[in-house]
Amino acid sequence: MSTRDRTAIPPRRRRPRGSRAERFAPLVLLAPAVLIIVGPRLWPLVLGINFSFTGDGDRDGTAVGFDNYLTLLGDPLFLTALRNVGLLVLLLPVAVAIPGLLATFLHLKVPGHRVYRGVYFFPAVLSPVIVGAIFTLLLAFDGPLNTVLGGLGIGPVDWLGDPDVAIFAIVGVHVWATFGMALVVFLAGFATLDPSLLDAAEVDGATLPQTIRHVIVPGLTRTIQFVFVTTLIGMLTSMFGLVYVMTSGGPEGSTYLPEYYVWIQQGQMNQPALASAASTALFLIMLVVGLAQIAVLRRTGGED
Amino acid sequence: MKQRTQWSAALAAVLVLTAGCGSAAGPGSRSGGPADKLVVWDWKSGDAKAAGYVREAKADFAKKHPGVAVEFVAQPFDQYYTLLGAAIQSGRGPDVVLFNGGGQIRDRADALAPLDSYVAEDRQRLAGWDAFTKSGKVYAAPVTLQGHPLYYNKDLYRKAGLDPEAPAATWDEFVRDCATITEKTGARCFALGNKEGIGIQFWLSALGSAVLTPREYDDWVGGKRDWSSPDVKKIFELWRQAGESGLNTDGANSTAMFNDAFAAFNSGKAAHVIGLMSDVGHWKDFAEFLTPDNVGVRNAPSVNPVAKPSLPYDGGIGYAVAKWTRDPKQAADLVRSLTSAGALEAFHRDGGAIAADTTIGTSAGGPAVRTIVSEVKAGKPALHVALGSKTIELMGRLSQQLLSGSATVDDALRQLAASDKTG
Repeated sequence: MSTRDRTAIPPRRRRPRGSRAERFAPLVLLAPAVLIIVGPRLWPLVLGINFSFTGDGDRDGTAVGFDNYLTLLGDPLFLTALRNVGLLVLLLPVAVAIPGLLATFLHLKVPGHRVYRGVYFFPAVLSPVIVGAIFTLLLAFDGPLNTVLGGLGIGPVDWLGDPDVAIFAIVGVHVWATFGMALVVFLAGFATLDPSLLDAAEVDGATLPQTIRHVIVPGLTRTIQFVFVTTLIGMLTSMFGLVYVMTSGGPEGSTYLPEYYVWIQQGQMNQPALASAASTALFLIMLVVGLAQIAVLRRTGGED
Repeated sequence: MKQRTQWSAALAAVLVLTAGCGSAAGPGSRSGGPADKLVVWDWKSGDAKAAGYVREAKADFAKKHPGVAVEFVAQPFDQYYTLLGAAIQSGRGPDVVLFNGGGQIRDRADALAPLDSYVAEDRQRLAGWDAFTKSGKVYAAPVTLQGHPLYYNKDLYRKAGLDPEAPAATWDEFVRDCATITEKTGARCFALGNKEGIGIQFWLSALGSAVLTPREYDDWVGGKRDWSSPDVKKIFELWRQAGESGLNTDGANSTAMFNDAFAAFNSGKAAHVIGLMSDVGHWKDFAEFLTPDNVGVRNAPSVNPVAKPSLPYDGGIGYAVAKWTRDPKQAADLVRSLTSAGALEAFHRDGGAIAADTTIGTSAGGPAVRTIVSEVKAGKPALHVALGSKTIELMGRLSQQLLSGSATVDDALRQLAASDKTG
């Protein structure tokens, strides 16, 4: 509203209304954004968390306090799911090191690096269901991998049927299917690496491990941290498809993840409130992980 | 950061204050669709094989209620009970709902209208009502029968020099014949897929009538289950032994029952498989690969001389009426049309299911289907169908442990007894 407009109208009656409008204007302008965030985003979240404090079956709709959460803590399947989350965190360095190493080789222009770049990225465009189906065939007890191992004189391994092996098989397949993205991020990181440092290392006669240890890793600290963050999120939120297709949570419940647990409780056991409690627990885990990651990223940002 | 913490604290406070105030959508908000239209949820009607069935049922219903439109909504089976759970939570959704018999419908009976007064006339004509009954009330009318016949490959029997028309009557003879078949043809005794823990359900039901006394069997189905009885223990002991002694195909814990185990049977890698009566993994599927004349069906070989082996079967799928529908009588009439003789005959003919109406003709189906239909009269409800879904899920996991040797039969039975008691 320009000054001229304002003076054109008698100021006495307009002043107070104008100032009130001015006071409300920011709220009105913000309202659509706030409503979009609160309506379709926060409100369902609140409902879901609220729902997790109600009962299932006969106790549908009645408040049960923390009963669902106590049930979760007493359910060996949920505890297995949490333990598997811990395992994923432990395996994270491996999941980051693989694309890191491969990106290093690509950056150092090993023979055929252009081909490899495409090949490595290719699985990232496949849906987990397709990847899962392919590897279910490959890893079957009478599948090709065991045939090859048999040819080498190594006894068959029941990759997806042995409770001690299956979760590693699934994580391995997940890493195989998703490391292409991390690889691209690493390659972008390499683009920011000062080539004169690599040249200097070469002139000084550094070996490849020495170059990685003293030049590449320090130079890519932020990239590595970023890849850690995104890989962990990927592991925690997008392995459902693989678990569903490859093992159905088995054998012996050894490959349960929180997401899969939520799905089983809601869809198969008809316990939506318990499923809500489990998803709230998953949400809290993600919140803690996310806040920790923000803290890490902020610290490194401060260092620059 | 500090401000964000305050916001988080405020949000948390709101959550704690409102915690437990009620379900996401209370059961009070029930409402049905308009009375001139009925919505049916299923996972069948999208299938081309079900087109004739749907047409027959619609025509039958149109005769009774000419002005009422019927809409079939085919949901993906993978997501069916998840979607249905959401509909039940919100208290609105389809008027007529397709269900699997047993735990799936009993767990959700709260959301359904009892049909006893509407379907009284059909009680004699149709079989398999038990699977849709809870606390004495019927919640759905059966469309197909589902059960677990023991199928065998007559060709492998012949190759092993055995008479396929007179398979072994007792368990010991059966195991001996299996050894002969494996020796002569390389095929295993059982094609087993237990990746999802389904294998044990089939095993329990197929072998149950050959191990339990008729009294024990009826008690089990009636809810009086003694998990510590020697006969019950025997069923699980046989399961463990079959795995240990190599009767099963390799890698059972990583083989999917649907359809890798059935594929192993179809390709002659195993002489027997505990299959289904309807839908998939049944006489029609096997006949496509092995030819109808090579598919044999039999009751389980006798383990306990006092037991009376019979065909374990229940109502397979059936249509129920949702509690929130506006006119339950009208919806029940649609259920009756969906289970009318004409519709079920089309379902049997096109879909290859054993229809709940055993009076319809089955002569075109080959020798296996004739054997199955003839056994229906003496058949009994399957043992695993009587169990709750939690116990079923636990049994699946324990069965995998029994195969891998990481649990003992006693330990498994103790856990199952505890789970069965709490429901």
